[in-house]
Amino acid sequence: DDEVHVRQKVAEVDPQELADFDRELKALMQDSSEARRARPALNMAIPLNVLEGSTKDHHGRGVDGESGDETLVEEAKGNKEVRVKVLVKRGNKQQTKQMYIPRDCSLVQGTKQKEAAELEE
Amino acid sequence: EETGDDENYEYGKGDFTEHACRYCGVQNPACVVRCNVPSCRKWFCNSRGNTSGSHIVNHLVRAKHKEVCLHKDSPLGETILECYNCGCRNVFLLGFISAKTESVVVLLCREPCLSVNALKDMNWDLSQWCPLIDDRCFLQWLVKIPSEQEQLRARQISAQQINKVEELWKTNPDATLEDLEKPGVDDEPQPVVLKYEDAYQYQNVFAPLIKLEADYDKMMKESQSKDNVTIRWDIGLNKKRVAYFVFPKEDNELRLVPGDELRLRYSGDAAHPAWQSVGHVIKLTAQEEVALELRASQGVPVDVNHGFSVDFVWKSTSFDRMQGAMKTFAVDETSVSGYIYHHLLGHEVEVQMVRNTLPRRFGAPGLPELNASQVFAVKSVLQKPISLIQGPPGTGKTVTSAAIVYHMAKQGQGQVLVCAPSNVAVDQLAEKISATGLKVVRLCAKSREAVSSPVEHLTLHYQVRHLDTSEKSELHKLQQLKDEQGELSSSDEKKYKALKRATEREISQSADVICCTCVGAGDPRLANFRFRQVLIDESTQATEPECLIPLVLGVKQVVLVGDHCQLGPVIMCKKAARAGLAQSLFERLVLLGVKPIRLQVQYRMHPCLSEFPSNSFYEGTLQNGVTVNERQSSGIDFPWPVPNRPMFFYVQMGQEEISASGTSYLNRTEAANVEKIVTTFLRSGVVPSQIGVITPYEGQRAYIVNYMSRNGALRQQLYKEIEVASVDSFQGREKDYIILSCVRSNEHQGIGFLNDPRRLNVALTRARYGIVILGNPKVLSKQPLWNGLLTHYKEHECLVEGPLNNLKQSMVQFQKPKKIYN
Ligand SMILES: [Zn+2]
Ligand SMILES: [Zn+2]
Ligand SMILES: [Zn+2]
Repeated sequence: DDEVHVRQKVAEVDPQELADFDRELKALMQDSSEARRARPALNMAIPLNVLEGSTKDHHGRGVDGESGDETLVEEAKGNKEVRVKVLVKRGNKQQTKQMYIPRDCSLVQGTKQKEAAELEE
Repeated sequence: EETGDDENYEYGKGDFTEHACRYCGVQNPACVVRCNVPSCRKWFCNSRGNTSGSHIVNHLVRAKHKEVCLHKDSPLGETILECYNCGCRNVFLLGFISAKTESVVVLLCREPCLSVNALKDMNWDLSQWCPLIDDRCFLQWLVKIPSEQEQLRARQISAQQINKVEELWKTNPDATLEDLEKPGVDDEPQPVVLKYEDAYQYQNVFAPLIKLEADYDKMMKESQSKDNVTIRWDIGLNKKRVAYFVFPKEDNELRLVPGDELRLRYSGDAAHPAWQSVGHVIKLTAQEEVALELRASQGVPVDVNHGFSVDFVWKSTSFDRMQGAMKTFAVDETSVSGYIYHHLLGHEVEVQMVRNTLPRRFGAPGLPELNASQVFAVKSVLQKPISLIQGPPGTGKTVTSAAIVYHMAKQGQGQVLVCAPSNVAVDQLAEKISATGLKVVRLCAKSREAVSSPVEHLTLHYQVRHLDTSEKSELHKLQQLKDEQGELSSSDEKKYKALKRATEREISQSADVICCTCVGAGDPRLANFRFRQVLIDESTQATEPECLIPLVLGVKQVVLVGDHCQLGPVIMCKKAARAGLAQSLFERLVLLGVKPIRLQVQYRMHPCLSEFPSNSFYEGTLQNGVTVNERQSSGIDFPWPVPNRPMFFYVQMGQEEISASGTSYLNRTEAANVEKIVTTFLRSGVVPSQIGVITPYEGQRAYIVNYMSRNGALRQQLYKEIEVASVDSFQGREKDYIILSCVRSNEHQGIGFLNDPRRLNVALTRARYGIVILGNPKVLSKQPLWNGLLTHYKEHECLVEGPLNNLKQSMVQFQKPKKIYN
C-alpha cells in the first residue's frame, strides 16, 4: 500500500559524459577482441542430449536437473516470456539452469520462426 | 555490572547487505552482480540512474574490470559468466546464442568461439548472437533493472561522483562514497540544505555535524573535572548510596541533568585506600546541589567528607542513535514509508491522503473540550501522512496532541509512538494521554530510572516491578533479593535479566501508546517494535537527526508539533550551529511549503500580555481564551503604573560588568531592583512559586540568587523558593508573574542573547498575570523588535522609571533601529 508518486526531474545525461563513456567502452571492447582474435578456436563440446532436447534423458549423463519443475509451462509468465535452458559449466560438469527471457528477444525469435517454419513443412 | 544493553548494541544496522550496489545501495539480488576481479569483488546493480551506462557497466568500464559473477539468489545462481566453449570471462566479448530448434542457450565469446565451424554443423543459430552488454547495460532478463520505486529510493549518484570514487578505489579499495564528502579537520562543514537528492546525501551532510557536536560535547564535559569537592552522604529509599555535593556551573558550559553519569574519586589517605565509583545524577536542588546515586555500595568512604574529585562520564549514546537512525533511513527501505521518505528529503510528491474513517467527535474522554482551531488540527492531522501543528504559547498543544494520539490509537493500526526531545514534555504528554483511558507505557532511559517522575506509575520500570501476577513471582523474588543484597549470584542475575526482559516486552507490547524521548526511541528495548504512527511534540527543539530516531521504526503517518517562533534546539558547537544543525525538521518542512496548522486561542496570558507577541510573532492571529477578569489577581496590591494593565518596562541605566568567571555579565542595579520587585510581590500576597525571574546570563542569575538571599527584606527562605533561570529553561512552562532582567547596557556592544526574536518571544509569553521587564531602552531600542516592544510599552504608558512606590513615565529617547539585525 506504499505507492508513492514522486514528480521527478528528468535525469539528463550530460552529452559530454556520454561521449567519454562511449569512447572508453569502445576502446575496451576493441582491446578485448583484438587480444583474442589470433587465438585458434577450441573444440566445441556441447552435449548432444541437450540439443536433442528430450526431457527423458535430461537428468542423465552429466546433465543434472537443476532446471527445476518441468511441469511449469511456458505460459506461466503470461505468455510474454519464454522458458529457456541455459547451459553452463561447473568445472568440467555441465548443467542446465532454467530461465525466462522475453518472447520478443532476438534470441528466441529466431528459434520460434524456425519452429513455425518447420511446423508448416 | 549493569550498564544497560546499549553498550553492545549496534545502531543503524538497518538491513545493510554486502551485495548492495556500491554506487547506489540497491540490494535486490535479482538486480546486482559482483565484479569478479579478486582485488575488487564489489557489487553493482544494473540501473543507469542519472548516468549513461548501468552501474555495473560503469564500474567495469571505469575500473577496466571485465569479469562478473551473478548473485546466488539470481535465476542462474552464483555463476561466473564465461564462454561455454573456451571459458573466456570477458563480459565485453560474451553473448548468448541458441540452438535452432530447442529452447537451449549458451554463453559464447565473440572471439574466437563464435566462428567455430563445428557450431554451424551443430545447428546453432549464429546470426542471432545476443551480446551480454547491450546499450551500456547488462541484458535485462539476465540481470534485472531495479523498479522505479527502488531506484527513486536509492542513492542518486552522479557520473562525477562515480569517477571520483573509482579514482579513490585505486588506492583504497574499501573507501565509501561518504569518504568523498568528508571534510578535512579544518574545513567548514557542508551546510544543511532544503532538499536532498537521497538519504545518503542527507547522511553526508548531517553525520559530520552530529560528529562535531558530539566531539564538542565530549571535550566540554570531560574538561569539567572538579577537585576538592565536599560530600554529604545519604542513603536512598532503594538502599543505594547517594552523595550530595555542589557542582557549580558556568555560562554556556556544562548543564547537568538528571540521568547524567559522574565519577566520584577519592585519592586515599592513611586510613582509607584510594576509591572511585560511577553514579547517576538523580536530582538537582535549587541550591545547585547534585544528588548522585552510586552504582557500587561496597567500600564507600562514608566517614570522609572532603577532598573528593568529580569527573563527567561522557556517553555517546544519543549521538550514536542519531547516526544510526540516519543510516537506517538510507539503507533500510522499510524504515519509513516511500511517501515520507521522499517528503522528508524535499522531493515533490503527489499529495496523499490517509484513508481512515474519521471519528464523529474529535475530542477525547478525560480531556477538556477542544476549541475550533484544535478540532480543525485533530481532523486535518488524521487525514494526512505528514502534518505540522504550530502551538503558540498557552494554546493547548498538549491537549490537542493527546486527542490526536487517542484517535490514532483507536484506528487499530498498531501501537502509537509519542516522543519529545525533553523528559518533561514526554511526562506531560504521557499523563494527558493516559487520562483518555489509553494504556500508556513511559519508557525511561535506564540511567533515569532512579529519577523521580510525575508519571512514575506509567513508567516501564515501575510497571515491571508492580505487575502483580503469579507468573511474575519469580521475578519479584529475585528483585527483592537484589534490593536487599545489592547483587545476585551470576546465575540468578542471568535469570533475573531474562525474566525482566520478558516482562518488559510483555508490558510494552500490550500498551496502546509508548512514550519516550526522541533519543529514547532508539533504546534497544524497542529495537523490534514497529510504529506506523508517530507524534513528536516540541519537535522544533530537536535537531533533525534526533527527530529521525522515532521515525525510522516504520512510520507511515507523522505529526510534528512545535512552534518555530520559539526557541530551537540548543547546539553547543558553533561550527555545527553555523552549518544549520540548529534548524529543526519542522522548520525545514515549513520552508519546503508544508503549511503548519496553527492553534489560535491562548489560555495563558492576560489579554494585554498577549497583544505584543501576537502581533510581532503570529501575524496578530492569536486570540484570547481568557478574559481580563479571569486574569485579575484579586487582593494583590502591586503598583502597576496603569491599573488593569499588569505590565511595565522599568528603565535601568546601571552599567553591566563582566562576571567573576569572566565569561558572563551582570548588572548590579538591575539585580537590586529585581529584589525590590520580588519583595513588593511577596508583600502584596504573591507566593514564591508564582514568581519567575528570567535572565539570559548565568552571571546575573547567580548574582540575583545571591543578592536576594543576602539583602532580601523578607525571610531568606522565601527568596530561595523563587525560580531564577535562563529563558531556555522556562520554555514550555509558565508562571503567574515574570520579572525579566535584560542585563546588557553597553552602548557599543550588541544585546547578546536577547537578540534572537524567538528567545524574546519565549521570555514575553511565560507570564499569566503580569510581567515586569528591566533594561536599558537606549541600548535595546537599536534592535527593531525591541524598538517595537519599547514603543508598545510607551504608547500604553507602561515605560516607567523612578522608585517602585512612585513610578513615573520615562521620557528616555529611543535610538533608530538598525535595519538589519542578526
Ligand atoms: Zn571491479
Ligand atoms: Zn546501482
Ligand atoms: Zn570462447
